[in-house]
Order: sequence, then C-alpha cells, then structure tokens
Amino acid sequence: MHCDQVSKDRQIENFVKPYEMCCTPYYKLDFSEVTRKLCRDKNSRNEIVANLKVCKIIIVGDVSVGKTSIVNRFCRKMFDSSYKSTIGVDFEMECFEILGIPYNLQIWDTAGQERFKSIAQSYYRNSHVVVVVFDLSKSETLSNTRKWFLDAMHTCGDMLPYVFLVGTKKDLLGGFAYKNAELSAVNVAKSINAEYWPVSSKNGENIDSLFARIAVLTFDDCVKNELLRPREIYIGSNMISGKANRSDSKKNSKCTKC
Amino acid sequence: MSASEMSFEEMQEEIRNQLEKLQIEEDSLQEEMSTIMNQAPFLNEKIKSLKKLVPALKIIEHDAVGLVNTINDISDSSEKISGKIRLLDEARSRVQECQSRVCDLIDLEICSQGVQAAILDSDYEKGAAHVHRFLSMDQSLLQKTANDVENISNTLKSVRTLQDATSQLRALVEHKFNEAVRNEDLVSIERFFKIFPLLGIHEVGITEFCTYLRGKVSLTAEKNLKTAITTPISDKRYNIIFADTLTLLFEGLAKVIDIHQPLLETYYGPGRLFSAVNILQKECDVQVRRIFNEWMKCRQINKKMQQISEISRIGPNSSFSKLERIDPKDLDILIGEITFMHYRSELYIRFIQRKVMADIEIGILDSQKKEECINAFSQALNNSELTQLKHELLSHYLRLEQYFMEESINKAVAMDSVDSSQQTSSMVDDTFFIVRKCIRRSISSGNLDGICAIINTACRVLENDFCDVLRSKLRQGYPSGYLDLTQAYNVLQSSIQQGRLQSGDTEQSRTAFIVALNNADSCIEYVDALCEGVLKEIENALPGMNSNEHGKLESCLSGLSSVTSNLKEIIEYGIQQLRSSVIKPRVNPWVDAFLNISHQFTEEELSVYEAGETFVQTLIMNLESLLSSFKDMLTVANYDAFVGALTTEVTQRLEKVILKSSFNGLGGLILDKEVRSLASYITAATSWSVRDKFARLTQIATVLNLEQVSEIADYWGNHDGALTWRLTPSELRSFLLLRTDFKPDDVKRLKL
Ligand SMILES: Nc1nc2c(ncn2[C@@H]2O[C@H](COP(=O)(O)OP(=O)(O)OP(=O)(O)O)[C@@H](O)[C@H]2O)c(=O)[nH]1
Ligand SMILES: [Mg+2]
Repeated sequence: MHCDQVSKDRQIENFVKPYEMCCTPYYKLDFSEVTRKLCRDKNSRNEIVANLKVCKIIIVGDVSVGKTSIVNRFCRKMFDSSYKSTIGVDFEMECFEILGIPYNLQIWDTAGQERFKSIAQSYYRNSHVVVVVFDLSKSETLSNTRKWFLDAMHTCGDMLPYVFLVGTKKDLLGGFAYKNAELSAVNVAKSINAEYWPVSSKNGENIDSLFARIAVLTFDDCVKNELLRPREIYIGSNMISGKANRSDSKKNSKCTKC
Repeated sequence: MSASEMSFEEMQEEIRNQLEKLQIEEDSLQEEMSTIMNQAPFLNEKIKSLKKLVPALKIIEHDAVGLVNTINDISDSSEKISGKIRLLDEARSRVQECQSRVCDLIDLEICSQGVQAAILDSDYEKGAAHVHRFLSMDQSLLQKTANDVENISNTLKSVRTLQDATSQLRALVEHKFNEAVRNEDLVSIERFFKIFPLLGIHEVGITEFCTYLRGKVSLTAEKNLKTAITTPISDKRYNIIFADTLTLLFEGLAKVIDIHQPLLETYYGPGRLFSAVNILQKECDVQVRRIFNEWMKCRQINKKMQQISEISRIGPNSSFSKLERIDPKDLDILIGEITFMHYRSELYIRFIQRKVMADIEIGILDSQKKEECINAFSQALNNSELTQLKHELLSHYLRLEQYFMEESINKAVAMDSVDSSQQTSSMVDDTFFIVRKCIRRSISSGNLDGICAIINTACRVLENDFCDVLRSKLRQGYPSGYLDLTQAYNVLQSSIQQGRLQSGDTEQSRTAFIVALNNADSCIEYVDALCEGVLKEIENALPGMNSNEHGKLESCLSGLSSVTSNLKEIIEYGIQQLRSSVIKPRVNPWVDAFLNISHQFTEEELSVYEAGETFVQTLIMNLESLLSSFKDMLTVANYDAFVGALTTEVTQRLEKVILKSSFNGLGGLILDKEVRSLASYITAATSWSVRDKFARLTQIATVLNLEQVSEIADYWGNHDGALTWRLTPSELRSFLLLRTDFKPDDVKRLKL
C-alpha cells in the first residue's frame, strides 16, 4: 500500500521527543547520523524507499478505554461520543513522510472484550510497537495494563517491540485529579519499561505527537537496518567467512526493532 | 569601446551592416504592402454585398417588434385566464373538502350504527372495517365539523359510539386471538391477525402473532435438542449433532420468516419486519444459548480449553509428560463441527440482515427515520445472544485450530522420514498439507477475522518452529569426508565407545543435510503456491470484501513472505556450509595444479602441451565428477546455487594462482583459451547465468593475451570498443606485469 500525497502535518523533519524525559526508557532524541546520511544521499534514498518495511502497531487495553477513538482521531480527525465496541480487529494505514521518505504505519486496533482475545493475540508477533491503553478516569484499567503488557510480551516472539503506555480521556479530569492519575501511571510505565503519554481523543491533545514519536523511533531503526542488509548479501558471496558475520547480523535484527 | 577609437574600416563595416539590415526590412515591408494591396478589391466586394443587406434587415427589425407586442398581449390574457382557473381550483377543492366532510358525517352515522350490529353478529371483520373507516377520518377535523353543523349532539354521540366500539373491538379481538392460540385454531389465528391493523394496533398484532410463532419455534427446538442429547455415539451424525440441531433451528426460523413476511406486508404494510424479527430473535437467543450450553457440556469444551492453555503455558517441548496431551487428531472432528456451527450462525445473521434491511428500505421513506431504524436494528443484532455466541464459537475455534496446527506440525516433524527416491522428506508435504487444511477450514467459518488469525498463526509456526528445525539440521554441518587421520581416529574411537558405529554414519548426516536444504527450497515453492491459492479461495468465499478488508487480508498474507525470506536465508547458510566443507577442500588443489605448469611456452612446448591433457581439461573433468555427484541430490534451484558457489570459488582461486605465475605471449593465449572453455563448461552446467562471475577472470585473460602493452587502449577508455572494467587500474597493471615480455616501464607509463 502506498501513499501518493502526504499532507503537511504528516511531514517530519525534526525528531519527536517523548512526552516527558523522565517517563521513557527510550533515550533517543535525534535521528542517528547514519540515518540522516542515508536519507540525504540520492542512491541510498532510492534503495530505502524501495525496501523500507511498514511499521506494525498493535493497540491493546480494556474494553471501552478509548482505543478506537485514538485511531479515529489520528486517522480521520474525528471523535464520536457514542460507544460502539470493536469486533475482532480493525485495520488502518497511515502515511508519514520522514526526512523526505514515505513511511507507512499499519495500525491494528484490537477489541478489548475477552472473547476476541485469540484474534488479537495472533497479531502480536512481529509488531514493532505495542500501545497499551488505559482510561485515566478509571484506575482499574491502569492496573490491568500490566496483564495486557505481559500478554503481548509472551506472544510477541524474538523481536522486542517498543512499548507505550497511553492514558486516555485526559479532558475528563481536572488538574488535581489528573496529577494523581499521572503519578500512578508513571509508576506503572516505569515498571513495565514503557513510554508514558496522556492523551485526549475528544480534543486531540497529544494524539498526533504520540504517533509522530512512534514513527520517528521505528523509522530510525528501520533505515539503519536497511544499511545492514546489503552488506549481509555481500558477505554471502565473498571470501570473508560468512558464518561469523551472519550470527552478528542475526543478533542485530533481534535487538533493533525492525 | 568608444567611437573615436574605432577605425575607419570598422565604422564602414558597421554602416554596411546597418544598410543591409535596412534593405532587408524594406523588402519585407514592400512585400507586406503588396499583399495588403492585393486584398483591397476583395474587401471592397464584401462591403458592397453587405450594403445590399441593410434594407432587408430593417424589415426584419420591424417585424420583430410586432411579434414582441403580440406575445405580450397573449401573455397578459393568459395571465387573466389562469387567475380565474386558480379561483376555480380553490373553489373545487373547498367543495371537495366539504364533500368529504359530508361523506365523513354520513359514514360516521353509518359506521356508528353498523359497528354495534357487527359486534353483536360477531362479524368482527365488518366491525373492524367500520372502525378502520372511523380511524381514517381526521379526528380534529371531525371535531370542527361537529361544531359547524346544527346537530352537534348527534355527531358527538356517533363519535363516542365509535370510540367505545374501537376499544371494545380491540379488547375483543385480542381476547379472541388468544383463545384461538389456545385452541390451536389456525384459521381463527390468521383471521384475527388480519384484523389488528384495521383497528390501528399494528404493534399489538405483531407482538401477539410473533409471540404465538415464538412458542411454536420453542416447542420444535426443545424437541430437537432432546433428540440431539439422546443421540447414541454410534449414530452417523453424532459428531456433528449439535451443528445439525443449530441448523434445524435456523432453518425453522428462516422458514417462519419467509412464510409470514408476505402476510405481514399485505396486511400491516412494509417496514414492520424489524419488530417481528426482534421478537423471534428473543426465542432464537434462548434456544441458541441452550444448544451452546449442551454442546459445551457434551464435548467437554472447558476441559479441553484448560488443557490447551496449560500446555501452551508450559511450552510445547517441555518434559512434563505427565500432562495429558490431546492428540490433534481427536480434535479434528470437533473443530469441523465448530466451524460448521459458526458458519451456520453467520449465514442466519446475514439472512435476517438482508431481509430486514430490504424491508426497511422500501417501508420507511424518511431518510432520518430510516437511519435511526437501521442503527437500532444493527445495535439489537450486535447485542443479541446469537452474535455473542458466534464470537465465542470463533474464539473456541481459533484456540483449538491453533493448537491443532502446532501439534500436528510438531508431529509431522517428529515423524519425518526420508524416502531415498525423493529429494525432500515427508515433513514438508505433511506440514503444508496441515497448514492448507487449517486455512481452508478457517475459510469455511466464513469470518475474515478468523481467517486472518489462522494465517497469522501459520506464519508464526512456519517461521519459528518449522524454520528452526531446518536451521538446526543445517547447523550440524555437512561432513566433508576430508578429515585428517588423527581426527578420523578420534571420531572412530568415540563412536566405538558409544556403541553407535555405523558404516553409514557420515552418509546419514550428509543425507540429512542435503534433505534439509532441499526441504527449505521446496518450502519456498509451497509458500508461494499457498499465498496465491488462499487468496483466490478467500475471494470466492467472501465476495463482498471492501478495500479495507482487502488491505487487512493482504497484510496478513504478506506475513508469509517473511517466511520466504527466512527460508532463503537458511538456504544461503546451507550453501555456504557446502562451500567451505565440500567445495573449497576439493577445488583448491585442483586449481593449484595451474602452478605446476610453466606458462612460458615455446611453439614446440605448446604443441606438446596441447597434445596432452591440458590443465583445463583435468579441471573440468574433476568439476564434472563433483557436480554430477550433487546434481541428482539437489533440487534445481539448490543445484544452481551450488554451481554458483562453486564458480565463485574456482574463479577466485584461479585469479590467485594466476597472480603467482608468469606468462609469455603464448602462455597468455593458452590462458585465454582455457578461461573461455571453463566459462562455457560452467555456463552449460546451470540454468542460471554465471557469466557475471566470470567477468573478472575473462578480463584478466584478455589482458594477459595482448600482443603489445599499447593494445590496452582498444579496451580501456570511453570509446565504443571499451569494456566495462571489473579490474581497477592498479590491478590491471599488476596483471600486465605478469607478462615477462612486456617492459615494466611501458606498463607504468600507461595512462589509465
Ligand atoms: N471524554 C472522552 N471520551 C472518550 C475519549 N476517548 C474515548 N472516549 C469515549 O469512550 C468510549 C469508548 O471508546 P472506544 O474508543 O470505542 O473504546 P475501545 O477501547 O475501542 O473499546 P473496545 O473496542 O470495546 O475495546 C466512547 O464512548 C468514546 O466516545 C476521550 O479522550 N475523552
Ligand atoms: Mg474499539
């Protein structure tokens, strides 16, 4: 799937910072040098455009915490206050242009109801990002995020995804109540090693930044992996002993996220 | 430059130029003028003919003004006439209204007199017809009419009589209907069903009638369920008896809807099916839940689910053999039954959706009301027990199917067997048979999310479990058979000690390696075929997919392509193993024999050399024997990859030994010949193009076969005859220097 024209607000030139430096395990604050260089150079650009993978994002969390609303706000710029529970899993594609290179996000919006769990679970594997969602105004949904997180980790396979802890419905809480909710949310985020973001799908607060942050983090990894790939083929058909390098690149593909 | 500095000649030149320009300009002006002059007579002619037209135009103008006046007159008079007509219209409609009010009054009289008589006669149809007539009158208008006429009390009395009669009849008909239901009096049931709408109580009628139908459905369903529960195991349909029961229920309901919809539409009007279906759905929900519960109990679903999640929690390969593992074969039939049940539910839901939507479409015209109605209906359907249970069925199905796939593939791998007549082993065919079967079964459930989840599972199992097996088989390596003596002795010793010395030990591990390599290759073909076949089947099974659903499906299917890239990596790994353990140790000494030959030939030596067995002949013979030993063992693609690796090895080694030799002109000539015959031999051996791998070597031979250093200019540079060089200038120089008859100074002086 390709995007022909990317709107202005989906074009990214500068790296996106986390919501708060203190609640993220991902310290990356800028594109890495290689990425910038590869995106500038004409030849490598074409190669990247041709081979760049889509970013697979899976959104999980309790019933009615607002998962679908996040996606609708981000992809369609709309909000519906009536509740229609998701059946099975919904699918959306959205395109960014980062450093001039088109980059697709594939978003899987899962259903919170127990009976759809086995459908949702089949999508954890090979996802680059897991977004665990809770309702800032309902503390029990925050406690359940741990369960969702463990579930994702159990089935995601070798590739460790980026994990985001997202609190929704920020618009419903006053300043004081929010501060309280944030305190416990940050604790949970730290304990599951996730990056914390509070959002509101109703007024759109932080929604675009969240997805932009997801996009730049994974984009940087994906481009760097593109750099590794051709070398691997080169090793294969050359005199240098193939074995040692192969296991190296294997390790690389495990710890980087693309 | 200023004018004073210009020499006279220059000025003269300048002036002459200007003059020339002016002349040219004059000429062109002259020409233009003459064309204009030529046109003058023609234009004059035109003007004359136009002048002739003027009087005619005047006449036309005069006529047109007359016409306008006439039209104005006509429009005025028609305006007057239409005003009168409008008045007439108004008068007529007043008369009509008056007439209808009179009619109403007359009918009111007749109805009020007739209704009582009808009731007394038990002629409910007639009574209801009177009430219907009364209800169709505009009640507020009736009130106004009553005020206008002299005989107020009479009119009001009639109205009151009819109102009383209406409620009397309503109660009576309801009562009679219930009585008919109690007596199972079908004729009366239908008779009174038709009367409800005449009395303006459509909803009551639908409720009463559908409640009656509901009771009938319930009776049959209960009977069916009882039969199902008592079906003996020996019965042919025992294994799908609950799917059968569910099917009977749905078919019964569909029949009820199909039979009564025309009745409903005729007597109640369109747009009311939704209310009827709503009531029947309540019974459907009750019965489906019952069947589902009995099914859960009878098939021990909970126990099975518990076992499965226990097994997946502990991990598939743990040594907890105490755990009772379910044999996937035992689940096969159960999974079939679930998909069948799910598919039936899906079909029935689609059936009522189609029916009700069509009815709303023609029955409700107001677009806002229509939307509200559609929303209410889909909300009700989504919240129905039937839908919930359908989801639960799907959830059970997925967990069982996933377990089935994983366990069956584990079994296929464990029972892998090699048939010496085959290049691959049984686990490939078996595994893809299983994967295909599971995906097919998911397609038969009729649910896209279910299909996608099973495709995802297939990707996971293939990519993890299955590829891991192939990988670990290749990791054992290919015994080269080139052990040195001490190594061989040690192996022998330890084998004897462990009591597992078999003559075919290495032979067996070789076969295992080659088979794993071939398995990986044939898997790639299987995956491609699977992708293509599955997509077509799904498109056939779900013809109405929208673009979003297509995107969903394709994203899941693209997961299979990552299985392919994994497999390619595995093959590459295996070929590299072969290269280092088989190709290298053999090829190197063969190629090194090149060093035993002096390439400084005299004419005489050359003819002697060519008369005997040349280096390249020996090499080709050796390669031939190596290749032929692998040709039949490997799949076509693997064999090509093997030849590719061999070619790389041979060319690189040859390049090295060439660098260690020195040549005269004849030596270079021979080398060029030999490289050519080697290249054409290998090219013929494979379906791939290996030309590219020979590019460097061919160029080296060309360089060494030059007559003179300067001839390099024919090949180097930007002209047509030049080659695309794979050698760097410095490499090229060092090869030129191997020619003992070339002067090093000439070589150094070359401009490259
Ligand atoms: N005020 C407010 N309401 C929200 C917000 N986000 C979601 N909601 C409401 O919360 C309800 C549930 O939202 P959904 O997005 O459908 O929830 P979900 O997590 O997708 O639920 P499932 O699909 O059943 O798992 C809806 O009524 C939304 O209108 C928010 O940011 N602010
Ligand atoms: Mg949702």
